[in-house]
Amino acid sequence: MKMSRIKVISIFLAFLMGSLSMNRCTESEDPSMPETVDFNFHIRPVLVKNCYLCHGPDPSSRKSELRLDTFEGATGTGESGLAAIVPGRPGKSEVIRRIMHHNPDEVMPPPESKLTLSEREKRLIEKWIDDGAVWKPHWSFISLVEPTVPETSGTKQINNEIDAFVLKKIKENGLEPVGTAGKKTLIRRLSYLLTGLPPKVEEVKRFVADNTPDAYEKLVDYYLSSPHFGEHWARHWMDIVRYAETKGHEFDYQITGAWRYRDYLIRALNSDVPYDQLVREHLAGDLLTNPRWNKETGINESVLGTAFFALGEGTHSPVDIRKDEADRIDNMIDVTSKAFQALTVSCSRCHDHKFDPIPTADYYAMYGVMESSRFSPRMANLTFQQTEDIREFQKTKEYIRKKLAANWIGKETDHTVKTPATGQITAHHHGEKSQVLGDFRGSGLDGWKSDGLAFGNHSALGEPIFDQKGEKITGLSEGKASSLILGAGIPGALRSPDFVIDHDFIGIRALGKNGTIRIIIDNFQLIQDPIYGALMKEVNSDTWHNYKIDVSKWKGRKAYVEILPGVFKKHEYNLPEGAFIEAAYVLVFDGAWREIPEPGEPEVPSLSGAIAGWAANKGSTEQIRLINQKITQGTLDARLPGIKELFTKREALEKSFEGAAYFIGMTDGFGINSPVFIRGSHQHVSEHRIPRAFLSALTFGDTAFQSPGSGREELTEAILNPKNPLTSRVMVNRIWHHLFGRGIVETVDNFGLQGKIPTHPALLDYLAIKFQRERWSIKNMIKYIVMSRTFQRRVVGDDDLQKKDPQNLWLAHYPIRRLQAESIRDAILAISGNLDPRMYGEPVPIHLTDFMTGPGRPAESGPPDGHGRRSIYIAVRRNFLSPMMLAFDRPIPFSTFGKRNVTNVPAQSLFLMNDPFVMQEAGSMAAEVVEQDLGFEERIQWIYMRALSRPASEKEVMHARNFVNQQAASYKISPDKALKEIKVWNDYCHAIFNLKEFIYLI
Amino acid sequence: MGKANHHIYRPISRREMLGICKSGFGSLAFLSLFGSMPQSKAGEFKRLMQPIRHHIPKVKHVIFLYMDGGVSQVDSFDPKPRLDQENGEDPNKKFKVDDTQFGNVGKILKSPWKFRQYGECGMPVSELFPHIGSCADDIALIRSMVSDFPEHTNANYFLHTGSGIQGRPSMGAWVTYGLGSENQNLPGYVVLDGGLVPPGGLDNFNSGFLPASYQASILKASASPLANIQPQEESQALQDQKLALISRMDKSLIGNLGHADAVESAISNYELAYRMQSSVPELTEFSRESKETQKLYGLMSDDPYTRNYGAQCLLARRLVERGVRFIELTCPKVKADRWDQHSGLKDGHERNAHAVDQPIAGLIKDLKRRGLLDETLVVWTGEFGRTPFAQGTDGRDHNPSAFSMWMAGGGIKGGTIYGHTDEYGYRVVENKTTIHDIHATMLHLLGVDHERLTFHFGGRDVRLTDVHGHIIEGILT
Repeated sequence: MKMSRIKVISIFLAFLMGSLSMNRCTESEDPSMPETVDFNFHIRPVLVKNCYLCHGPDPSSRKSELRLDTFEGATGTGESGLAAIVPGRPGKSEVIRRIMHHNPDEVMPPPESKLTLSEREKRLIEKWIDDGAVWKPHWSFISLVEPTVPETSGTKQINNEIDAFVLKKIKENGLEPVGTAGKKTLIRRLSYLLTGLPPKVEEVKRFVADNTPDAYEKLVDYYLSSPHFGEHWARHWMDIVRYAETKGHEFDYQITGAWRYRDYLIRALNSDVPYDQLVREHLAGDLLTNPRWNKETGINESVLGTAFFALGEGTHSPVDIRKDEADRIDNMIDVTSKAFQALTVSCSRCHDHKFDPIPTADYYAMYGVMESSRFSPRMANLTFQQTEDIREFQKTKEYIRKKLAANWIGKETDHTVKTPATGQITAHHHGEKSQVLGDFRGSGLDGWKSDGLAFGNHSALGEPIFDQKGEKITGLSEGKASSLILGAGIPGALRSPDFVIDHDFIGIRALGKNGTIRIIIDNFQLIQDPIYGALMKEVNSDTWHNYKIDVSKWKGRKAYVEILPGVFKKHEYNLPEGAFIEAAYVLVFDGAWREIPEPGEPEVPSLSGAIAGWAANKGSTEQIRLINQKITQGTLDARLPGIKELFTKREALEKSFEGAAYFIGMTDGFGINSPVFIRGSHQHVSEHRIPRAFLSALTFGDTAFQSPGSGREELTEAILNPKNPLTSRVMVNRIWHHLFGRGIVETVDNFGLQGKIPTHPALLDYLAIKFQRERWSIKNMIKYIVMSRTFQRRVVGDDDLQKKDPQNLWLAHYPIRRLQAESIRDAILAISGNLDPRMYGEPVPIHLTDFMTGPGRPAESGPPDGHGRRSIYIAVRRNFLSPMMLAFDRPIPFSTFGKRNVTNVPAQSLFLMNDPFVMQEAGSMAAEVVEQDLGFEERIQWIYMRALSRPASEKEVMHARNFVNQQAASYKISPDKALKEIKVWNDYCHAIFNLKEFIYLI
Repeated sequence: MGKANHHIYRPISRREMLGICKSGFGSLAFLSLFGSMPQSKAGEFKRLMQPIRHHIPKVKHVIFLYMDGGVSQVDSFDPKPRLDQENGEDPNKKFKVDDTQFGNVGKILKSPWKFRQYGECGMPVSELFPHIGSCADDIALIRSMVSDFPEHTNANYFLHTGSGIQGRPSMGAWVTYGLGSENQNLPGYVVLDGGLVPPGGLDNFNSGFLPASYQASILKASASPLANIQPQEESQALQDQKLALISRMDKSLIGNLGHADAVESAISNYELAYRMQSSVPELTEFSRESKETQKLYGLMSDDPYTRNYGAQCLLARRLVERGVRFIELTCPKVKADRWDQHSGLKDGHERNAHAVDQPIAGLIKDLKRRGLLDETLVVWTGEFGRTPFAQGTDGRDHNPSAFSMWMAGGGIKGGTIYGHTDEYGYRVVENKTTIHDIHATMLHLLGVDHERLTFHFGGRDVRLTDVHGHIIEGILT
C-alpha cells in the first residue's frame, strides 16, 4: 500500500513539475510508452535522480565499481561478472533484475536510499534496453544541429518559426492556443519587458491609434532603441555576475569603480555589442590586441568587462590567506562557469562532479587560469586619442634620439665601434643571505611585467632628461624602472614574477611621489592592519630610499611584488596628479640590507660605440654615463629645435590623464598550473600539477593552454569555439527566460545533468544557431522572439488549460508575471512623475533605515526616493542591501542567479501599504491630479491611463467615486471640495499603487 | 505527533495537495503565509510531500542568544587554575601558539574573575554570570566547541549559516523553511535587534538561496518594532477604506481572469500584512506584564543596557507564546566593544555580562514557570572563544580552537558539562564539537533530520550542515 501511495505521489509530482516524461496524472491510466525511448529525455533523468550518487562519475562514492554514467561502464561486466545492461536483452540485464526485485536486499535503488522507481520508469528502462540501449551524451553536450522547422501549412497562427515549434508541442499535448492579446496589454508587456518601465500615455495612444500592419513591429523597434533598454537588461546580467559595489564582510569596503562596469553594460546593451564580443571582454578584455573603442567617447570599452571577476566578496584580514585565495577563486570559477556555460564546475572542488562529466582535474585546470590572473587598478576611460598621442610622443622621441645621435656621430674622434653591452642581467645570486628579484639598472625590466602605460617596456636607461623649460636635454636617464617614461600621473604597474618567500625581508630601492609598493601574497589584495599592514608601503621620497618589508611570517608562500604610481586609501585606488614611482632594484634578504653591485660587465666604452648604442636603443649603463659626461662637458650639444615640441607633447599627455578614472579589473600574471586540492583542502595538495585547460568533456577542450600568461585568451576561445554546444544555447535561453518568465531550459544556470531538460529542444537549437548566424545580436534575438505569435498571446485563467498544463510549459497562453523589484520602484517613480531619467554615474547612496545598522554603515543615509533615479543607479552595498529590493526577490549578490525567485511575503505588502516612499510618490501624483482642470471622471481616466495604460470602466469610476467620498467624509471635507483636496487624491493614488494589476503583467 | 502538530507544515495528504492545485482563490492563502510557500513552485511542493517532521520533536521554538564578539571561555564557564599559577609566563614556552588575528601575543593571563559552583550539579560559573549560574541545573554546558574561522565575519556566517562565505541561508531560515510558523499573523523567524548587528551584517540572518519568504524579520523592542508596520494614514478608518477599495478592485480583476494563483496569493498576503499591523505592535506592550515579571527580566535595573536586553528577552518569551519558531537576540551596544576584548578585558566583559546576565536568567526562569521551557530550546553562544594568553597586556585575541556554549530547554539534560579543553583552555582535548553539530542537534530537537532537510541549489541538494554534523547525544535527555 505504501508503495502505491508513493507511486501516486511521484506521478502526481511529475505532473506538477512538468517532467517531460510524464503527461498523465492519474493512477488508473496506463501510461503509454513513447514510440522511441530517448536516452536523454526518458532514461538519463531517471538514472541521475536514482542511481548516480553511487554509480555516477565520482569514484569516491561509487559502489560495486559500477558506473551507469557511461555506456562502457553500464554494459561492461562488473564485480559479479554480470553486465548491468545488455543492449537488446532486458532479460539478461542485471539492472532489470534488480529494479524489479521485491527482496529489500536485492532491489535497486536500495530501500535506505528512500528512492523508488515508478512502474513507468521501470518499463521505460526495460523498453529502452529492449530497443538496443542507444546511449547518447547528455543533451547539452551534443553539438548544435539545425532542426527542421515543423510543417505548418493551413494555420494562420504563425508569425515566425518560433510559433511553428511551439504550436507543434501545443498540439502534441492536446491543447489549443489562445488568441492574441489586446493592444494595451501588448504595449504594457513590451514596455516593461524591454525597458523595465511602464509605457507613457502618449505611447499608448499612438500605438492604439496606429492601424498600419507594422504598428507592433514599430513599437518593438521603438523600445529596443530606447536608452532605457540597456538599463533594464543590464540588471538581468548583473544578477548573473553577483554585482555589488562593496566587498561586504566586516567593513564593507568599496570595490573601486564597480559602477563603471554597470555603465559599461548599459552602453554595450544599448549599442547591441555582439554577445561573443561581450564574452571576450569579460574574460580577456585587458588582453585584446584590438579593443573596442567607444564610438562617441573614444574610450576603451573592452577592458571594463574584466571588472566582473572582481565583484566578489572580500575578506577582512583573513588569518589564512591561502584559504582565502581558494575561496575567492572558487567564486570566480563558479560565476564564470555558470554565467557563460550554465555548468556548476565549482561542484568539483572537493571531488569529481557527482552528476556531470566534470572531474576535479577540470576544476583545477580552471583554477590555474584564475590563479595566474591578477587583480589590478585599471583605467576606465583611456581614449583612443590618448593612445595616438602616446604613439606620436614616442615617435617624436625616437626622432630626437636619431637626430641627436646623427649630429653627434661626426663630432667625436674615435671611430672604432665596439659592440654595446646588452644590459642583460644573468647572475642573480649573491650568496645565500640575499637574492635579487629584479634589477632595473640595465636597459630591461628584468622579466617583470609592465602593465598599463606607466613603465613602458624597458627601463628608463637613456631616456632624455629635460631642463625646466623643456628647451634642451640636460642628460640621459640612468637605468631604473620608472613610471615617468611618458610623464607623471600616468597609470600602470610593474609586477614581479611569482616567487616563494624564503627570506625574512624584501627590499626595494625606490623613490617617488604618491607611489606604492605592495607585496601580494597568495593574490591577497586587501592589505591592512592588524596582520598585513606592513606589506604595503607608500613611497614619498625624492631621493633613493631603501624600503624594507618584513615577510618572515610568510615563508614558503607564493608572492609577487607590485610597484605602481598612485595610492590605496581604504582599498580604493587613486592616482593623484604628479604621482610617480621609480625603482632601481628589488631583493630578498636576511639580516642587514645588502647593496647589490650594478649589473653588466665592467667596460670602457668608446664614445662612438656609446652613441651608436644609444641611437639603437641598446646603450649600456657605462655608455650612457659616457654620453652624459660629454654633454656636461659641452662636447656633445644636446640642443635641438624638436625638443621643445617633445616637451610640450609630454605636458599635454600628462594633462590628458588628469581626468583618468579607475576600476579594479584583471591583468595577466605568469602562468601557474595548480595542483589538485585533495578533498578541497589547500593544506593537502597533489604532487602533480594540472595544466590549465578548458573542460575535458567538451572535445575541443582537452588541450592544455600554452600561454605564458593566465590562459584567459584560450579560455575565451574555448567558450566561443563554434563547436561549443553551450555558449549560444545558454544565452538564447537566458533571453527567452526574461521574455517568458521561464527558460526553454528552466534551470537557466544549470545545463548539467541535474538541470531541467528543455521543453522545446529543437526550438532551443534553432534559436542558438540563429543567434550565432546573426552575429550574436541580443537585440535581434529579442526582436525575433517578441515578434512571434507565441509572445503576443493573451493571459488567461482558463480552467481547462490550467488543468492540462498547470505550469504553462507549452505556452498555449502567455503567463501572468509579477514585475521585478526594480520595475515596481521605477514604475512608481515614472507614474508619480518623479522619475529622473538621467543615465550613468556614481551610485546614489542607499537610504538607510533604522533597521540597517552594523559595521561599515555609511556615515550618511541616501535620500528615501533615491533622487528619483532608476533603481539600477542606487548603491548596491553588500552589507546594506535595499530591504525593498530584497523583499521583492532581487538576489543576494554572492553567486550567479539567472533566475530570480518569485515570492509572496508580507514585507512586500507592508512596503506598498506603509512605506513613506510610496505614500510620498502618491502625493506627488495627487498634486498633479489636483492641479489639472478636470472633472471627476476625467481625473480617474487620467490616473488609469498613466498607471495602468487603460481607461477605467464605469464600475471602476463608481468605486473611485465612493472611495473619494468616504475619505473626504473621514477627513471631514465636504464632497464638493474633495475634488481639489490633495489628501483625498493622495489616498486614491496610493491605492492604485497597491493594486495587483499594477505589479503584475496581465 | 501529538501536541506539536498544530503547525501549518504537517505533511499534507494527496487529496489536500490536489485541492491546492485545483481550487482557486483562497487555497493559496494557505501557502502564502510567513515562511511558507512562494506561489506554486514545484520544488516547494516536493518538499512538502516529504514528511517534514522526521521524528517526534522535543521542542517547537528556538531562542538563540548570540554573544557577539566571542566570550572568553576561561573567564566564564571553563575555569583554568593553571592560568593563575603561570600568570605572566611566555605561552610559547608552554604550547604551540597558532597565528592570531592581531599577532600581538602577550603573556599567559589569569582570569580576573573567581568561579563558584552552582546548583545541585555544582557547575562552576564565574562572577560574570551569577544569575545564569542560578540556572545551572537547567543548563547543558559544552566546553569543547571549535570553529573553522578566527575572523569575526567568517565565523559569524559559519555560526549562522554553516558556511564561512556570505550569502548562504541562515539557520533560522532553514528552520522556518522546514517547519514554518505556528502563528499565521507573525513571521516564523525573528531577529531582535538589541543594537549590534554582527560583523557580516544582515546577511547573517538572510535566506540565501532559499526564497525570500524565509529571511528574518528584524524586530526592535520599540513601539514600531518592524519596518513599515505603522500605517501612514491619519486614522485606521482611512486605511481600512483604502484597503477595502484595493480588495474590491483586485477581486474584480480575478473575476475577469478566471484563475490566477499568483495574484490570489498576493491578495491574501495583504490580508496577513493587515493583521500584522496590530499583532506586531501588540508584542511590545510590556505594560501588560506584572511588575514582578518585569523585575525578573531586569527591566527595573539601573543599567540601561540590562533594561534593553531584558526587554528583548521578554519580547522573546512573548514571541514563543505566540508560536514564533526561531528567535535570535543580538547584543546591546554597551559602553565598551561587543564581547571582543582585544584589550580592557575586565571592563569590557563586565559591562557586556551585566547587560545580559539577569535578563537571560529571567527568561529561563519565566519560561520554566510558564511551562514553556519544555517546548523551547535556549542556545547561548559566541562565534568563537578567546586566547588564554594576553593580547598586549590586558586583552585576549580570538580563539577558534576552544570555546564554551550552553543550551537549556526541552530535551536538554540540565546540569551537564560536556567536553574538555586542555589545562589552559586553549584547545579541545575531548568531545570536540563543531558548529555543524550544534545545527544538527538543534534541528534534531525540532524533529528534523539535518541530513534530510535539503534545498536544491547550484547543482546539488544543499543542507544547513553541508556534509557534516553529528547530534550531540551527551547533552540530551
